[in-house]
Amino acid sequence: MTLSKLSLRNAKRQAQDYLVYFATVVMAAALLYSFNALVFSREISTLSQSMAMLPMMIVLASIVVVCVFGWLVAYATGFMLQRRSRELGTYILIGLENKQVARLFFLENLAVGGCALAIGILLGGLLYQALRAIVLALFGTVYHFSFGFSLPALALTVVYFALIYLRALRKSRKRIRNMKIYDLIYFDRRNEGAVVKTGRGRRVAFVLSIVLGVVGTALLMIPNLALAVAGAGCVIVSLFGFFLSFASGVPAFFDKRPARKFKGQNLLVFRTLTAKLGAMGVLMATISLIFTATLISEGTGLVFRGLFEGRAAEDACFDLYLALDEEQMSSDAPLDYVREHIPVEDSLLYNVYRSEGAQLLEYLGLTEDAFHYDYTQDPVLRYSDYAALRSIAGYPPVELGQGQYLIHAQAHLEGALGAYGGTLTLGGRTLAPGGVCTEHLMQGFGVSNGTWYILVVPDEAAEGLAVYHWAYAAQTAQPVPYEDFYNLTDLADKAALEWQVATRAQAEAEAAAQTALIVFPLYYLALALTMTAATILTIQQLSEADRYKRQFQLLQKLGMDRRGMAKALRTQFAIYYALPAVPPVLIGVPFIVHLARAPEPGVMVGASSPAAIVGIALALFFLIYGVYILLAYTSLKRNVLPE
Amino acid sequence: MLKVKNIEKYYGSKNNVTRALDRVSFDVDAREFIAIMGASGSGKTTLLNCISTIDTVSAGDILLDGESIAALSEGELARFRRERLGFVFQDFNLLDTLTIEENIGLALALNHADPSTVQRQVADVAQKLGISDILPKFPYQVSGGQKQRAACARAMVAGQSLLLCDEPTGALDSKASKNLLEIMTKMNRDMGATILMVTHDAYSASYAGRVLFLKDGRIFNELLRGERDRPVFYHEILDVLAALGGDVSDVI
Repeated sequence: MTLSKLSLRNAKRQAQDYLVYFATVVMAAALLYSFNALVFSREISTLSQSMAMLPMMIVLASIVVVCVFGWLVAYATGFMLQRRSRELGTYILIGLENKQVARLFFLENLAVGGCALAIGILLGGLLYQALRAIVLALFGTVYHFSFGFSLPALALTVVYFALIYLRALRKSRKRIRNMKIYDLIYFDRRNEGAVVKTGRGRRVAFVLSIVLGVVGTALLMIPNLALAVAGAGCVIVSLFGFFLSFASGVPAFFDKRPARKFKGQNLLVFRTLTAKLGAMGVLMATISLIFTATLISEGTGLVFRGLFEGRAAEDACFDLYLALDEEQMSSDAPLDYVREHIPVEDSLLYNVYRSEGAQLLEYLGLTEDAFHYDYTQDPVLRYSDYAALRSIAGYPPVELGQGQYLIHAQAHLEGALGAYGGTLTLGGRTLAPGGVCTEHLMQGFGVSNGTWYILVVPDEAAEGLAVYHWAYAAQTAQPVPYEDFYNLTDLADKAALEWQVATRAQAEAEAAAQTALIVFPLYYLALALTMTAATILTIQQLSEADRYKRQFQLLQKLGMDRRGMAKALRTQFAIYYALPAVPPVLIGVPFIVHLARAPEPGVMVGASSPAAIVGIALALFFLIYGVYILLAYTSLKRNVLPE
Repeated sequence: MLKVKNIEKYYGSKNNVTRALDRVSFDVDAREFIAIMGASGSGKTTLLNCISTIDTVSAGDILLDGESIAALSEGELARFRRERLGFVFQDFNLLDTLTIEENIGLALALNHADPSTVQRQVADVAQKLGISDILPKFPYQVSGGQKQRAACARAMVAGQSLLLCDEPTGALDSKASKNLLEIMTKMNRDMGATILMVTHDAYSASYAGRVLFLKDGRIFNELLRGERDRPVFYHEILDVLAALGGDVSDVI
């Protein structure tokens, strides 16, 4: 048997013993490949102008992902080196030189990595199809399954993998070459020491870390880069302080309270846990930090998606919308362009009028609003124009009763406006409130149909009112091409200082591109981070299987029944996996809620409301985390508990 | 063959120094079978580890055939272990992924010996130690006694002249222990192996030709078997252990 044969055999065993790790490395290859394939896809990059940015965003995210997976592989390799030190010592004992053992280990890991890469790339081909389908759906393009391999993506994935593995293996090679045979053979006899030793130091560190955590989370929410960086620093220090002081504080807590220690299964659970946590303080803090970053990435991704979708929904209500800030049309150029270039099925040229008062502006407290067009009095639409606009937008008709006015507003104002009972006096007529409609109607930023709301009055009541600005809305035969949109904005810009041009096609493409540019990399990162941290926790837990097994066999002899053991294992498992996830939830949730509240009202609604975003972000995170926990638990339960 | 000259070994930090070996000296002739006895913490395993190059000495020198092992380079040390030393541990130290045959032949194969020679040598030593029938099995498929005999075979297969055994019968029942000790005696008498065996057990030690007693890192006594029968020697060993005092109960 040769060295390489032995390496191969060990590689096979490694893949079996560390199946969760192997699966994660396979997924890492799949993720890297599938996102790289997006980078090199011509089909994707030509979907919209903005998508030209996608390769850069993905490559940037990939660099971080490579660092994260690099850390995982380095950690797992180091961990295996430790676990197998006796075996490696035996090789040296029977006459192998350190450098031969280092080569053996190198070849073994290269084989595992190579195998994971091959499987991962196959899986990545499928994953890429899923990503492609999502991107095409975002752009409203039809998806057809076509399985093909992208050579450049393959090459880049191999390069990334080489970086991940070579760094880890160089480190372990150095370690093996410098290892003394005595250290290898007697490695398992080493003890771990607590980092924070004295009770007073521990208490101070614990309290300080909680305070820093709260301060850091608060600072993260202030929209100031320097303070946010300081906040992130506080959170990092806080997490490390918390886990180092907590891990060494638990034994002291129970030592002072013997009654609790000897209650039920507390002793068993707490001793098993503290043995692990005491040695894992720094690691737990790092994992907690990774989870915090994951939750924030997922939450931020969802907030951005909500923001882009929310804004696009408002801008995409007409196939084409054009408004210039002038009472009378000064140039025919924009509309001439539409007539010449864009086949229109239905259209309306209309005015937005200025009411005689500002009673709703005042009622809603919008007089000082800085976001919108400078409305000093309530904006008004004629009912006939409004009815035509609804028809162009494809909404069902709405009746306006005799002597009434309607309010068309964004959904977030429905409650406030529905409760408004004030009458409106226009041109000597008094109009009573006739209801509130809340479909999207170009009521967002700038020159548009009012400032989140507009009053709809009978045509005769609008006669004689001053004009704020004119506007044009159309239903087109085809989606308006980007080129026409661009030319129209150019013409509008020449004609007036303030203007608005929107097309449904452009708004949707823009939202899709922004989602792909920001949200994809964030989710890519979040996935890599969760998988890495959960894998490390699981490797740590499963590596104790032999010890747990011996412990439970002994407990069985002491008279503990299987149900009791299963319960102890479950409790220990729950605490072990919950501990690093609690601080991220406490830090991440307020941050996400704050972020989701930042955009203007009316955007973050429905599935993008702050509560929904927090719920989805937590669900996504715990879904992936849960898979790892379940894998670890079933595997451990099967191997550890006596029959 | 082996000369241990005034070796000392210290452990611990600057405030807490443990002297594991204190000026230990003795000679081992070729084809001797020596047992080293002593209570827990008396320094037996440390002594064996120093001789086997697993550990280094703090002072003194160990000479094998007149050559100091402290002066060897990494490459020379590896060759030295490969060609001259054989190890047998209490917990066997066999590799789980390899069959018994592969475990025995591993060192030879990794050093590019001719494959047919490896197979022949393995078969030869296995036959001498009575484990030919378990060669295709994996370590977890055979008994403790068989595993230990496989470890002995591995320790001797390359023609190593010095066999270092750390509590070889420690994990075996009495029948398997007896069997192993008889095999070791055979290896010593018929195959020319020099054996240095650390043990707690007076019965195991009685198979040796000479017994060194360690106490607190020093050689406390030495017993030669000479022409006496093994049971007689066994009782003499017990007498010395009794003289060692409070440690007797710990030793037997």
